[in-house]
Amino acid sequence: MSLTARRSLRTRLLAAAGAGALVLGLAAVAAPSAIAESATPAPTGGAAGGKVTFTIGMTTDIDSANPFTGIVAEAYEIFQMMYPTLTDYSAEDFSTVPGMAESWEESADKLTWTYKIRPGMKWSDGQPMTAADAAYSINRVKNGRYERINYGSYVTNIIKAEAPDDTTLVVKLKKPTPVMLHLAIYILPEHVWKDISEADVKKFKNEPTPGNPIVSGGPFVFVERQVGQFIRMEANPNYWAGKPAIDEVVFRVYGNEDSEAQALKKGEIDFADSLTPNVFNSLKDVAGIGTVSAAYPGFNELAFNTGAALADGTPIGDGNPLLKDPKLRQAMAWAIDRQALVDKVLGGLGSPGSTVIPPNYPLLHLDPADPVGYDPDKAGQLLDAAGYKMGPDNVRVSADGQPLSFRLFGRSNSTTSKKSVEFIKGYLAAVGIQVTVTNLGDSPLTEKIGQGNYDMFEWGWVVDPDPDYQLSTFTCGKRSYKDGGTIYPDLSDSFFCDPAYDKLYEQQSTETDPAKRAEIVKQMQQILYDQTPYVVTYYYTDPQAYRSDRFTGFVPQPSPDGVLLFQWGTWSYDNIKPVSADTGGSTDGTAAAGATSGSGTSWGLIVGIIVLVLIAGGAGFGLARRKATDQDDRE
Amino acid sequence: MTGQTTAVDPRTLSPRAIVWARRRRAWGRLAGQFRRNRAGMAGLVLMGLFVLLALLTPLLFSSSELDVTQATGGVYDPPSAQYWLGTDDSGRNVLALVAWGSRISLLVGLCATVISMVIGTAVGIMAGHYRGVFGGLLDRFTDWFLVIPFLPLAIVLATVLGRSLLNIIIVIGVTSWPGTARLIRAQTLSVEGRPYLERARALGAGNTHQMTRHVLPNVMPLVLANTTLAVSISILSETTLSFLGLGDPTAVSWGSILDDAFSAGAISQGAWWYLAPPGICVVLVVLAFNLVGRALEDILDPHGQGA
Repeated sequence: MSLTARRSLRTRLLAAAGAGALVLGLAAVAAPSAIAESATPAPTGGAAGGKVTFTIGMTTDIDSANPFTGIVAEAYEIFQMMYPTLTDYSAEDFSTVPGMAESWEESADKLTWTYKIRPGMKWSDGQPMTAADAAYSINRVKNGRYERINYGSYVTNIIKAEAPDDTTLVVKLKKPTPVMLHLAIYILPEHVWKDISEADVKKFKNEPTPGNPIVSGGPFVFVERQVGQFIRMEANPNYWAGKPAIDEVVFRVYGNEDSEAQALKKGEIDFADSLTPNVFNSLKDVAGIGTVSAAYPGFNELAFNTGAALADGTPIGDGNPLLKDPKLRQAMAWAIDRQALVDKVLGGLGSPGSTVIPPNYPLLHLDPADPVGYDPDKAGQLLDAAGYKMGPDNVRVSADGQPLSFRLFGRSNSTTSKKSVEFIKGYLAAVGIQVTVTNLGDSPLTEKIGQGNYDMFEWGWVVDPDPDYQLSTFTCGKRSYKDGGTIYPDLSDSFFCDPAYDKLYEQQSTETDPAKRAEIVKQMQQILYDQTPYVVTYYYTDPQAYRSDRFTGFVPQPSPDGVLLFQWGTWSYDNIKPVSADTGGSTDGTAAAGATSGSGTSWGLIVGIIVLVLIAGGAGFGLARRKATDQDDRE
Repeated sequence: MTGQTTAVDPRTLSPRAIVWARRRRAWGRLAGQFRRNRAGMAGLVLMGLFVLLALLTPLLFSSSELDVTQATGGVYDPPSAQYWLGTDDSGRNVLALVAWGSRISLLVGLCATVISMVIGTAVGIMAGHYRGVFGGLLDRFTDWFLVIPFLPLAIVLATVLGRSLLNIIIVIGVTSWPGTARLIRAQTLSVEGRPYLERARALGAGNTHQMTRHVLPNVMPLVLANTTLAVSISILSETTLSFLGLGDPTAVSWGSILDDAFSAGAISQGAWWYLAPPGICVVLVVLAFNLVGRALEDILDPHGQGA
C-alpha cells in the first residue's frame, strides 16, 4: 500500500529486514553523527572549494529509486529531480503550468489531447528527449500491471499515447477526464527503460554504479547511493530549464530528528526536512537558521479494517469482523480528541482533521455540515445504541458476546505515530474499547495491511492537488490483488468498498468542469466521513529548517508560507543559490557565528550525553568489576 | 560474633538440626562480615530504597498518570512543586514515569537473573562434574555462547520472539549465563578435587547425589555473590534493549523512558529532567547491586579471603 498520494508518507522504511533496522537503530544510538561523517561524500556548505554542495538531512531513506516501486515522499523527491512530467504544478498556487510540454490542447469532443513538447531537449547522457519518450512512458503505465500500481489512476481513461513527431504527443481517451491537465506520470528515457521487461521491473533498482549515473531529464543526475546513508546527485548540464546554480545535492539519512537538528546547527547539513515539533521549536531562535512550519496537504488517520478482501471480493486476512460495522467506527471517531492530538503530538503544528482532502485545497475540501467532535459520552451512547454493552473489566461486548478488543498498529520509526497510538489507546479505553498496540516498521506493516491481517493502524497520506489518486484509494478496485498465489497490496488500506462511492468516483473522473467535479468530490468525502473507514486525526504542517546564512533563493509552494523542498516540482532546486553568490563571499564569519550560537540549548544535549556515558560507564563498571578487585582487600 | 550458637550441645541434636545450626551460624557470620563492609551496606541501603519505591509505587502514583490522554501538565514543564521532575512531551509527570519504570526494570532484572543463574549453575556444575565427552560438549557450548557478542544476539532474539515483557526476560536470561557457568565450573572442579567427594564416590554416591548434595552447597555462596552482580547487568541489558525499542512497548521502564525522551527531542529541547532521572536511577541501581555483589564476593569467594 502506498500510504500517500504520490509523495507518500513522510517517513517509512527503516526496516527492510527486521534485524537490519535494529542494527541501524543501534548505530543511531551509538553515534548519530558518526553515521553522517562516515557517509560524507564531499564537504558540505556554501561554496567550499568551488563546488557548491547543498546537503539535505532526512530521517527516512528512499525505499526504492525505481519510480514504479518507490512510494515514500523522499523517493518522489528523487524521482522528480530526475524525470520530467508533461505539466507541472506552479509554485504559487498549484495551478497547471508547462513542464516538458510547453502547451496543450483538448479536442472539441474532449477525447484527444495534443501536447506540444519542447524542442531540442536532451537527456543527461546526450540522447534527445522527445515526445516518443513521453508516449513510451504513458503506454508503459497503461499496459503494465506492476507499473499501474503507483500511476494507474492517471491512465484509466487513456486508450493510448502516440508521438507522430518529436514535438507532438497525442493521447486518445475513452472518456473525457480532468486528470490530463496534470498527468503526474514521470517521463522516462525510452532508450534505457525499453531494456527492462515487465517481469524485471519489480526487481529493478534504478541505482547508479560508479561511472554509470542514472540517465536523467530533470535538474539533477543520480550518481551515488549508500543505502541507509546518503544519496548524491549532480547538476544536469543538459537540463532544459538550465543547469542549476548548485553543483551537487546530497541527501543524508539521520537516525532521528534530534541528530538531524544537531547536524543543521553544526553545519553538516544545509536543510532539515520533516522535523518533529519539539525539535523544530528548539531551532526557531538559532541565528543563521531559517524555519518554516510550512502549509502542507498531509493528513494522518486512524484506519480500520472494514472487511479485508481482494479486488474481486474474496475475503482475506484475520481482521476483527466487528469493525465492519460503521456505527462502531463512527462511535470511535467521537471518542478521539483530535485537538489534543494536534497540541500534544504535533506541538500545535497542525489542525484537527475531518475529511480526506485537506483544507489546503479549499475548492475541494469538504467542511462537514455535521462535524464529529470529541465527546466520549456521546461515543458511549452511540455504542450502547448499537448494541455494544459494557461488559466485565470495562470492556464492551457485542450483541453476540465478542469483546471490543482490537489490535492497533503504529509505525515504529515515526515519533508522531508512536505517540498517536498511545493517545488513541487511552481515548478508546475510556469508552470501553480495548486496544493492543504494536509498533512495526513500515515494510512489515505495509505487508500486514495488504494482507488484511490487522484491525486498525495509524498512518498518513500526502494528498495530490488532483484528488483522483486519494479518492481512488477507497474504491473496491484498489483492494489487494493476487498474483501467482501471493497477495500484493494495492492502494486501498481500509478495504472500503461502497458501490455508491465507486459510482461517484467514476463520475468525477470524467467530469472536466472543475466546479461540478468539486461538488462530486465533496459528496464522496461526505460518504467517507459518514462511513468512517478512516478517522482523519489531524492535518499537519511540514516543519522545515535551513541554513539561511548559506543558501538563499528557496521558492515556497504554495506562496507565501508553503514548503521549501519536498514540493510538487523542483522549483527550489532550480533556484537555490549559495548566499556567497549574492554578497561576494563574505559569509564565512556569519556561518561560523551561526554554528556556535546553538550553545544556548546545547547544555541539554550535554546532560543527555552525560547520562548515556554514565550508563555506558555503569556497564563498563559491571563488566570490569572482576578485574577491579582491590589488592588491599586481599591482604 | 562467631561464638553465639556454640552453647548448644551437639550431642543432644539430630543430624538435621546440626546442619541447620551450622547454616545459621554461617549466615550469622556472613551478616556480621557484611555489616562491617561499609560499601556493601551503602549498596544494600540503596537497593532497599529502590525496592521499596517499586513496591510502593501503586500507592504513590495512580497508573492513570501513565496514560497520555489523562496527562495534566504542559509540554516539557520544568521541575516544579507539583511535578518534582517536570513533565514529558505529553505532559505526564516524569516522577510517576520513573517510579513505574522502576517496577519493570527491577522485575526484568531479577527474573532474567534467576533464569541466567539457573542455567549458568546447572551447566557449570555439570560441565565440571562430567569430565568426558558430555562435559566437553557443555564446555564448548558455553564457549560458543561466550564468544557471541551479547548485544547482537539479544537483538536478534528479541526480534524473533517479539516484543513482550516475558520475552525480554527470556532474552536477557538465555544470553547472560555463560560467564556464570564458567565461574561455577571452576569452583566445581576445585570442590570435586577435595577428598570427601572421593569418599562419597567410594561409598557409592551417584552423580545426582554428588552434584546436588556436595557440589551445589559448596558453590552456592559463589552463586549468591554472582547473582547480585548479574542483576545489575540484567537491569542494564533491559535498559539497553528498551532504549533500542526492543522492550515491551506497553510497559514503562527506565530504558523505554530514555528511548521516548530521545525520540521526542528532549535533547534539543534541553529537557534534562526527562533524560537524567531514568539514567541516574539506572546508574544508582546498578551501583547498588554491584556494591552488594562485590561485598558478598569478598566475603564468600574462597580465593578472595585469607581464611
